[in-house]
Amino acid sequence: MARAFLPEDGRYVALLDDTERFMIHGLMQQTRIVLSPEVEPTGDAFADVVASMGVSVASEDRAEDRAEHQGEERDPALDRLLPDAHRGDDAVAAEFRRLTEEGLRQRKSANLDVAMERLAAAANDEVALDESQAPAFLMALTDVRLLLGERMGMRTEEDAERLHAAMEVIDDDDPLGYAMAWYDFLTWLQETLTQALMDDV
Amino acid sequence: MTAAPHTAPLETAQPETDQQSEFASAWVTIVHNDPVNLMTYVTWVFETYFGYPRAKAEKLMMDVHTKGRAVVSNGPRESMERDAESLQGYGLWATFEKDE
Repeated sequence: MARAFLPEDGRYVALLDDTERFMIHGLMQQTRIVLSPEVEPTGDAFADVVASMGVSVASEDRAEDRAEHQGEERDPALDRLLPDAHRGDDAVAAEFRRLTEEGLRQRKSANLDVAMERLAAAANDEVALDESQAPAFLMALTDVRLLLGERMGMRTEEDAERLHAAMEVIDDDDPLGYAMAWYDFLTWLQETLTQALMDDV
Repeated sequence: MTAAPHTAPLETAQPETDQQSEFASAWVTIVHNDPVNLMTYVTWVFETYFGYPRAKAEKLMMDVHTKGRAVVSNGPRESMERDAESLQGYGLWATFEKDE
């Protein structure tokens, strides 16, 4: 049985059992695969920045490749994790994406790596975050919920209401009910960590 | 993540009537409502990233929630692009555009 994140000696600690940690870790892994950067960080910041400069040039070629393969649709979850930054001007949106997407993918992946490491390092069901790990964990939870929400068709407030209403009448073995239950669990967990961080300010 | 430093210069740039600076500041960053992000989390992001005080962060969050979108910062285009990119890093639905 889970216990919320609470401040404890300068850290934020939650109690999550094996099943809960396994599920969250798996969903984070799934999100990381969807986001996977073209160039994985090497741990050497300078090598990474050089590699990402190479990628921002290369992605112009990739954009042409994509145009040639019209059939290959972009995963809609990516449009939610890395949305268009300009509405109404596709050229501006495309240029912004070319310049920022690789960096965003790398930063989001790094947050997920931190969060998965903390889940794996749990002892006695305690998941502990220090001051720098807590924001990374929060952002990782956000991206997992964005992915899960997109996969369940939760794109508007009306979708969310409809999904929650459907839970009242759904069959026990419907996978949508299972996904929704974990989505709600992640929502609760994120809320407790956000509250803990805000109370500390 | 960057915090407070860049908000102060932008806000002091606001009241200037000089044409040049008005032109340079005529871009905005907008956060759009979505069904996934938590109200508390959005408030935390506005506090953490912009360094906005709690009351201002909550007001902006409520505007996003009830009106569907809110202008969360304004300034030169480069700054708005940086804000939109950073807010997307937090998972918010952020865009930038010319203020018209």
